[in-house]
Amino acid sequence: MILETGRVVSTEQVADLGTLIVVSAPLVASRAHAGQFVHVRPGERFDPLLRRPYSFNGIDRRAGEIELLVKPLGPGGGWIAERHPGDALDLLGPLGTSFVVRRATTHLLLVAGGTGIAPMKVLAEQESARRNVTLVMGGRTIHHLWPAHRLPLAVEYVTTTEDGSFGVRGRVTDALPSYLTWADQLCACGPWPMLAAIGRLREEAARATTVVPGKDVVMDAQIAVEQHMGCAMGVCRACVIVTEHGNARVCREGPVFSLGDVRFEGGEPATVGLTA
Amino acid sequence: MPWRRPRTHVDRAREIRRSEEEALEEKAEHAAEDEAVELAAIDGASIVEAATGEPEDDHAPSDLAAKLGAAVEGVELPALSEHRAPPRRVRAAPPSEAAVPVVAGPEPHPEDGIDLEVEVARGLRLRNPVLTASGTFGQGVEYAELIDVSRLGAMVNKGTTLHARPGNPQYRIAETPSGILNSIGLENPGAAAVAKRYAREWPALGLPVIVNVAGHTVADYVGVVLEMEGTPGVVAYELNVSCPNVKGGTLFGCDPALAAEVTRAVKAETDKPVIVKLTPSAPDVVAVARACEEAGADALTAINTVPGMRIDVARRRPVLGTGSGGLSGPAIRPIAVHITYQVAQAVAIPIVGAGGVTCAEDALEFLMAGASAVQVGSATFADPLAPIRIVEGLAAYVRANGLASIRDIVGAAQRGRKRDAGTEYVE
Repeated sequence: MILETGRVVSTEQVADLGTLIVVSAPLVASRAHAGQFVHVRPGERFDPLLRRPYSFNGIDRRAGEIELLVKPLGPGGGWIAERHPGDALDLLGPLGTSFVVRRATTHLLLVAGGTGIAPMKVLAEQESARRNVTLVMGGRTIHHLWPAHRLPLAVEYVTTTEDGSFGVRGRVTDALPSYLTWADQLCACGPWPMLAAIGRLREEAARATTVVPGKDVVMDAQIAVEQHMGCAMGVCRACVIVTEHGNARVCREGPVFSLGDVRFEGGEPATVGLTA
Repeated sequence: MPWRRPRTHVDRAREIRRSEEEALEEKAEHAAEDEAVELAAIDGASIVEAATGEPEDDHAPSDLAAKLGAAVEGVELPALSEHRAPPRRVRAAPPSEAAVPVVAGPEPHPEDGIDLEVEVARGLRLRNPVLTASGTFGQGVEYAELIDVSRLGAMVNKGTTLHARPGNPQYRIAETPSGILNSIGLENPGAAAVAKRYAREWPALGLPVIVNVAGHTVADYVGVVLEMEGTPGVVAYELNVSCPNVKGGTLFGCDPALAAEVTRAVKAETDKPVIVKLTPSAPDVVAVARACEEAGADALTAINTVPGMRIDVARRRPVLGTGSGGLSGPAIRPIAVHITYQVAQAVAIPIVGAGGVTCAEDALEFLMAGASAVQVGSATFADPLAPIRIVEGLAAYVRANGLASIRDIVGAAQRGRKRDAGTEYVE
């Protein structure tokens, strides 16, 4: 990772999803991979104090630019979302692990909830020329969906809305089951309850009879998770979650984990024990 | 000029891919070089990994077991953690105006030739008075990937207990005005694992290590010190008698007799300087300071975090998993400066000021209040370069004011002390 002062190239509101900020940051862009994130300083002083983590929403190595999708939540997110072209942005990154698409994968299923679209959009752009890619995205309304025209043409885009204003009425998990038997790899990013639900669906799909003869049901599933974060350098241990291998820092061992490794409790991350 | 990967690597990686997916590759419309980079990235191997078979510095592989081996630091997967490479030193950044200059090697530093040396504890002189605070700098190796840690005075490692601790339930961190509330719960792999894991890495940092010792009983503290004794790189111990996030953690720090007891017990087991970290929760912090000095403490750190709480109004419950936590950051600086000032009047041993230090001017406040050194904590999260900027700022201050040494201003603001006509502060 590296510290780099990026320059805001453009900003644009994307419906109610957030503000799309394009930042010129050649050093970060040259090292960035889908699923990794940058820790952005929300101001020049120490109030608010903590940097904000944003997953790459776009990586353009040739132009030396990255894209961030920023929800103007709280004083920090608000400050970042209000940047204008030409403004400086203090970036620390790229940080964490990235999604790994296997060579053998022919049918890649991407699942996004809310701003979890960010790494899924990067994967869609990188993989759609090489594999069959389906992106399933869920939002509260049509205004909480990523606009279809901002995706590669080759990507099959399936949408769900909770109010039925566009696509399937319901949640992403309502549209998923048929795709789970179709895909041989799944990558997902979104709220914890969504990820937990995908885990349950995947187990059910694994138990069900194989629909496509000679084809395994989704064996490889990777998820990018969110957690309240402090340093993002792996020192403060604020962002720890529980995995099959013990405590893991979302900023270092994550944010991308194997779905089967992450422990859930009632749709939320499992609780770390009080004492050893 | 963006960084360009070596041409040879790109070509070799392309050949690897070509043999695999020739037909698909020809359909792609990207320029050859970019495409190669992306293709190589597909399978988790970056371009350099694909070309050389060696893991690349900045690209994190996704093998969870291996990652966790490093993460648990030898607790659960000791065999894996032993194989971790020694810490990388500062990565030479490609030249770019946009990049923050990360200086390494023989380049001159602004603090060169300026006398910043201080006695941080009895028997412990450091090259400068800028330390990193426990819990905000890990084991030093993490930030060594980003900054030249050898330019700092010393680091205090993450609070270390005798046995491994998994830490507290989420959430563990919450932001407050000009500050952070945390309730990590001393998550650490235990003293033996820390000593084993970092015996080789600490000396390579070029940064003296002060081990932060925490525990529930006097025997716990002594046990940690005995485990850590002889570990290369360790120059002193800081007794965390004041962690607010562990049941009973502040007990030792609130009672002068208990604080003295644990100080005495540890002093009996080590020849290294022992620093006691004071808690602002103590009813009479000056009494605790005096008791520690009498018990043989070689220095005092003032202060640990201040207990605090935030409520999530939407969920109608505290934000932190444990309810309350410890407040750090600029929000507590005036409290910390005041306690430093009070303790400096009561004891003769050195004081290490801590609490919301973000810049050289903040550090000077503590030094003038009577501290011999400062610890930088929360500020590092916002600006990883903050500790180094403070070293540079203190050097600039010494130079601009024609001081012989930074030691000349220690306690300058103490009442009754003869003052100079006034000095000019230069950032």
